[in-house]
Amino acid sequence: MTLHRPGRWALVIAAVILIAVIATAAFALQNLLAGKIGGPVQVANASADAVTRGKYLAAAADCAACHTAPGGAPFAGGLPMQSGFGTIYATNITPDPDVGIGRWSAEDFWHALHSGVRRDGRQLYPAMPYTSYRDMTRADSDAIYAYVMQLRPMKVAGPKTELRFPFNLRLGMVGWNLLFLSDKLPAVSTGRSPAWQRGRYLVNVLGHCGECHTPRGIAGEMKLSQSLTGFALGRVAAPDITPAALAARGWTAAGLRAFLMRGTAQQSWAFADMRTVVALSTRNMTAEDLDAVTTYLLGDDPLPVRPPAIDPAQVRAAATGAGRLSYVALCAGCHGLDGNGVPNTVVAIRNNSTPRLADPRNLIVAMLDGVGRNNFPHSESMEAMPGFSDKLSDSEAAELANYLRVTFGGQKGDVTAADVRALRALSP
Amino acid sequence: MSLPTRPLTVTIDGRQRGPIDVPDGLMMIDLLHEILDLTGSRLGCGIGICHACVVIWDRDDGTSEEVRTCITGAGFFDGKRIRTIEGIARHNDKGEILSLSPVQQAFLDQFSFQCGYCTPGFVMAATVLIERLARTPVPRGQVEATVAAALEAHICRCTGYVRYYQAVRDVILATPGLTRDVG
Repeated sequence: MTLHRPGRWALVIAAVILIAVIATAAFALQNLLAGKIGGPVQVANASADAVTRGKYLAAAADCAACHTAPGGAPFAGGLPMQSGFGTIYATNITPDPDVGIGRWSAEDFWHALHSGVRRDGRQLYPAMPYTSYRDMTRADSDAIYAYVMQLRPMKVAGPKTELRFPFNLRLGMVGWNLLFLSDKLPAVSTGRSPAWQRGRYLVNVLGHCGECHTPRGIAGEMKLSQSLTGFALGRVAAPDITPAALAARGWTAAGLRAFLMRGTAQQSWAFADMRTVVALSTRNMTAEDLDAVTTYLLGDDPLPVRPPAIDPAQVRAAATGAGRLSYVALCAGCHGLDGNGVPNTVVAIRNNSTPRLADPRNLIVAMLDGVGRNNFPHSESMEAMPGFSDKLSDSEAAELANYLRVTFGGQKGDVTAADVRALRALSP
Repeated sequence: MSLPTRPLTVTIDGRQRGPIDVPDGLMMIDLLHEILDLTGSRLGCGIGICHACVVIWDRDDGTSEEVRTCITGAGFFDGKRIRTIEGIARHNDKGEILSLSPVQQAFLDQFSFQCGYCTPGFVMAATVLIERLARTPVPRGQVEATVAAALEAHICRCTGYVRYYQAVRDVILATPGLTRDVG
């Protein structure tokens, strides 16, 4: 008998679930027998060097970005992460014995990073990027453990993650892991140099860049065949950061280094979630590691920078349209008629990476919502940009976006009022 | 060389102005100062931060909002109705001041400002707030927070915030209909 495709899939899924149930039951039993609930409070007697190294690695792995609630104690958890399956709350990873990881051993810690399993045997959701951390060396995991275990314990019990059925069954993650957990994430560029190898580790594993920049499939898994080609988790898209796409938006090694180190570069100033990444993670990286990251992102032999050609005829046409009027009325006061911005204060739109994105959403969202005031490292700051959602109709916003795309981005003026309406509807 | 211009018609303090040929890229503050001789709105930072330059935009739906004239092109106001600081007090037909607005009077009574550079902006913000409360009153217990939220964006380099906020709070509490007793 030949099963139809849906029937065969049902069998596969049932088998996966069965295996998952058995595996988890066995694992939970093993953990119980091993005393993984309760147990002694751990004391990590790590050397000062190990703690220092762990602090650096925890920054490179950007643990604090999620494991810190807005205004909360660092690493004490509580940040809500929206997903299509419900809201997931980051946990407290300070060494509090009851609400933190005070009873976790280095082995337990590595197990969570590597396999996505908590000390009590329950599955983590891949909002915790064990999907990327899986390839972390045991030595690095131990160093991060040494660092977090000497933090001040914070008795902060975060809200409980409650997903919709059936996603609230953590057991299901065993099957998910069987299908989607990968030992080594694919390379996005070509290279062999030590810097490239180190960069691959920093980008794919510690930095877990793919967790935002890689498109996700229907089960929330990273589509590894399209690694780092960009994805929109929310209203703002993490752009394509593969070598060709970076070159097409004007990114050079020096530009990327400046962006990651200072949050500001000629090509763009960090905003939205990437601002947090720079503030908590990349700006703390050594010059060697930043070199490694850019070497990996661009490859050992970087492509020549090739921004999209600006079509003078289209630019002339755009200069007489409604988009230009809105630009002069609402944008030019700060960004300048020529789009050059104000040094150290207002970002330049000319030669900026964002209007060069084929996907217009980041440009539109910035226009509608504005961008909050940002303090960057090295005393650099950007003043707040107001949002214009109440001053631009859908069609006016579309025309303005098209003016910017054609004039500064070399992109098509193909944004429609419906595109703007759709993004407006997603407003927080 | 001549700058490209566009015609602009705008109603300011109840009086229609224009059509005026406005150079491309002229900010509203410059139109007010240089062409219309309305010099009360202050140019402070020039990048939309200090809010000394705001005017009130009266929308057709009856609501009003502050707009920063240093970063808003004059063209934005084409066909719109605005109020500047010159139009807040009551005037007679000859343009003489009959009485200050309650907000202006309260700022004087409470010595709210020192150098006065930011005062036009604070007057506009407080005026917008009081008109909004007349449409949708707030519970008395929320007045302090409401004032703070409404004036927060305005910067006073003499740090006169306490007396500005106090004056606006007093006007709100003394004016019937702006607050309600239960929350």
